[in-house]
Amino acid sequence: MHKLFARQLAKATTPSGEVDLDELGRLIGSAYDQADHDRRRTDRSISLMIEELDTLNRGLEKLVEVRTKALRDSETQLKAQNLRFEAAVNNMPQALLMFDRDRQLVICNERYRLMYGLSREGVQPGCTLRGLLEQRKATGTFPGDIDQYLTEMFTALDAGTTMAKLVELPDGRIIAVLNHPMSDGGWVATHDDITDRQRAEQRIAHMARHDALTDLPNRLLFRERLAETLAAVSRGSKLAVLFLDLDHFKDVNDTLGHPMGDELLKMVAARLRHCVRDVDTVARVGGDEFAIIQTGIEEPLDTATLARRIGEAVRAPYDLAGHAVVVDTSIGIAMSPHDGTEPDGLLKAADMALYGAKADGRGTYRFFEAAMDMRMKARRELEIALRRALAAGQFELHYQPLVNVDSKRITGCEALLRWNHPERGMIPPAEFIPVAEEIGLIVPLGEWVLRKACLDAASWPDDIKVAVNLSPIQVTNQNLVPIVVSALAAAGLPARRLEVEITESVLMHNTETNTATLHRLRELGVHISMDDFGTGYSSLSYLRKFPFDKIKIDRSFISGLPGDNESIAIVRAVAGLAANLNMTATAEGVETAEQLETIRALGCVEMQGYLFSRPVPPSQIMLLLEPQRRKLAKSA
Amino acid sequence: MRTHQLSWSATHGWRAPGANYASADLVLYFGLRSALADGARYQELRAMFGNAHVVGCSTGGQIRNDDVDDEIAAVALRFDRTRIALACEAVPAPSHSRACGEAIGRRLAADDLAGIFVLSDGLNVNGSELVAGVTGVIGPTIPLTGGLAGDGAKFEETLVGADGAPKRGQVAAVGFYGSSIRIGHGSAGGWDEFGPRRRITRSTGNVLYELDGKPALDLYERYLGEEDARGLPGTALLFPLLIRDPVQPDQDVVRTVLAIDRTARSMTFAGDVPEGWAAQLMRGNFDRLAAGAAVAARQARSGLGSACDQNGLAVLVSCIGRRLLMGQRIVDEVEAAGAQLGAKIPRLGFYSYGEISPHGAAGVCQLHNQTMTVTAFTEAA
Repeated sequence: MHKLFARQLAKATTPSGEVDLDELGRLIGSAYDQADHDRRRTDRSISLMIEELDTLNRGLEKLVEVRTKALRDSETQLKAQNLRFEAAVNNMPQALLMFDRDRQLVICNERYRLMYGLSREGVQPGCTLRGLLEQRKATGTFPGDIDQYLTEMFTALDAGTTMAKLVELPDGRIIAVLNHPMSDGGWVATHDDITDRQRAEQRIAHMARHDALTDLPNRLLFRERLAETLAAVSRGSKLAVLFLDLDHFKDVNDTLGHPMGDELLKMVAARLRHCVRDVDTVARVGGDEFAIIQTGIEEPLDTATLARRIGEAVRAPYDLAGHAVVVDTSIGIAMSPHDGTEPDGLLKAADMALYGAKADGRGTYRFFEAAMDMRMKARRELEIALRRALAAGQFELHYQPLVNVDSKRITGCEALLRWNHPERGMIPPAEFIPVAEEIGLIVPLGEWVLRKACLDAASWPDDIKVAVNLSPIQVTNQNLVPIVVSALAAAGLPARRLEVEITESVLMHNTETNTATLHRLRELGVHISMDDFGTGYSSLSYLRKFPFDKIKIDRSFISGLPGDNESIAIVRAVAGLAANLNMTATAEGVETAEQLETIRALGCVEMQGYLFSRPVPPSQIMLLLEPQRRKLAKSA
Repeated sequence: MRTHQLSWSATHGWRAPGANYASADLVLYFGLRSALADGARYQELRAMFGNAHVVGCSTGGQIRNDDVDDEIAAVALRFDRTRIALACEAVPAPSHSRACGEAIGRRLAADDLAGIFVLSDGLNVNGSELVAGVTGVIGPTIPLTGGLAGDGAKFEETLVGADGAPKRGQVAAVGFYGSSIRIGHGSAGGWDEFGPRRRITRSTGNVLYELDGKPALDLYERYLGEEDARGLPGTALLFPLLIRDPVQPDQDVVRTVLAIDRTARSMTFAGDVPEGWAAQLMRGNFDRLAAGAAVAARQARSGLGSACDQNGLAVLVSCIGRRLLMGQRIVDEVEAAGAQLGAKIPRLGFYSYGEISPHGAAGVCQLHNQTMTVTAFTEAA
């Protein structure tokens, strides 16, 4: 009997032993219901579980699918990445090699093969560096000893350091090789063809130290060489530094043009090189300035000989596209150790010596002397004093009358600048005007002269002009016309009473702008005189460039009168020319009655000179003008 | 020690074989809430056993030896060499569970304390916290066994009485003292894990909201089907929830549902359901559940050592879920347990809302659910 039925039967049996069939039926029915319920529940839960597990399974499958796709995608990306890597490696300008820890080739790009002319078959992953070097030896692209190279390289790599090497190939190419150790025991090598770069660098280095026009060393290299050579001098031998420039080189540029000037410089450079020994240095240190280091000197005479030889070489005529050109040179010489043992001191000494040579009239050479240093110092002092003088009111104007040779009447007075130095007394213009021009003081100084002269002249009789000298620098200065207008206005002086004197050099440079400035002055009513005619180039063409009101014949022609025939001829010609061009011819520096008679006879209209009056202070000029003023007043 | 079993039914009243009731030290009684609620049965027992502590609770059915039925089951015990003490504490809300456990521990703690048997309110308590409260005071080595009171399959109200009429919100505990008492205990489930492993993704204390990001109640309703879902929360016991700390995967715990919230779609369990733990549904096979009960009884008997041949008593606390599932076949499990314990150890017990016993593997006392737990008492000669 089933255990459960036995229990049900026992439960349904009354204490009296009778079986309660209704109770037994209920118990049995209930047990069936419970069993059915449990079966349904079990079925349901199992099918739900299967469903759930199935869903989970699908989820997992989906996940696997997604992961697989991601894996495939990253594989594709990896491939693309590899392709890009390969493209990058093969298109880099350097050759690239990578070796593993077993010293076998892993990666090699095309550039390496092409750089050394190796076959594709010969360069494969797995081959050794020795194998590659042997192939290069065969193609003639490995210059050294293979064993030695490998030993050197592996020593560096084993020590964890990079081996860097410049290799010059038999065909002239220069290759920069880097062997760089990697953390895994292998190494990466790059080979860079730096031939062009190397040449460019050499070229640039050359250019930095050489003059592009003549290919001579420039100032920088010259100084380096001088320092080097001086180091040798200090061990016993002597050397000389020669500084030279071409006299009036600027005129060549001005007249023939810069290309011709450049051509001349190249020819001079070639001649200079010719004059010195190979061990000596010739450098171009400025526009037309050259410098030479002479070594192996026994005595100063050796250098003097060289200087003379250079002078002769430079002076020999040049043929510049058919133009025969002659230039001269001034040379300054400093000796070491006598004049200094330091480059700077020596260069300064040579420069002073050159200055001295030029002061001596150019076309010559001068050795440095201690006195030059003194003179330079004096000049510096003059400069400093000059800068102070204007503000300190140390300048004054003296006037020298211009006189009509027939009527003996004063027609005008030339203003002449005087510097009343507190210690040195009157300093002549010839001494300080060039310095003022050089240091730029001439512009404010010239303006002061203009204003002062106009003011002084305003108190003179109305028919007396005042003549003011203009420096070429003043004429070139853009402010000249406004300054003149302002000076006239401030003094209340009519423009017709102002006469400006210029030298022909004003028309030699910046001709067009300077001519335009003169025309504008002329339009104001100012008279323009050509001063010192005959001293410079005396080219008559300057007279054509501008219609001057007056030509002043230089005193050097007058001093020869009346005896010197040549002077007579020149004075007559100029006076005649002036008459024809409707200009007044004025003779400067007339000192004797004979001279006066002569110039009148030769056609000069006006004279100036000690015969009538030396330059006098403003107060005295009033005395000279007094008779005329009275006469004027009377006739009025 | 001597035992005298009694039973009560509406038809027959008390049926009490044996005499000398007045000398009993302790009376345990179990019955349906409907039978105990008026306190009349307690008064009757009180009158019968004037010197004894009378301790009982409401249940989901009684075990009397090889029978399972709804009559009141009681036993009077007289110890020869063992002292006992009773502690009773109120537990007004589940949040007081740990404090309540600690109070009981303090009341019963003594150098010769040999074990504690506890009966607790089955709905208003967090059993895990209660157990932790007691063991926190008496230490982990003294056996703590017992169970949570039941209310059939209704889950409305449970009662516990300790020398008084049974009331809701109470915890009663009997402490056993001395060197003679032997307490053997065993606990086993016999449920089969089934279906996918899930993860507790949202919970607070013993309230479970989500498994794998979906409402837990949805899952239960789906598995129960319309027929059984109407019986929630009781029917949730048909699919116990096995939970497992991923850090200690060998110490798994089975949880019983106490209540559900159809609005919040949440389920309240008799113990904690920590977030992040693994969870798996279980289902019962009659034969394996009965075999589980046998395992628990064998463990309890072996725990008695040499005193297993003495006269004694086994208190069986089995989960209401087992009875719900097995129906009339529930007798299989009590028979299986009885066969292991032998003739000298009569059985008394009840179907509960939670079982308290040291864990079989770890030995640490825990709240169990869905198990059969057996506590056997004898006194050494």
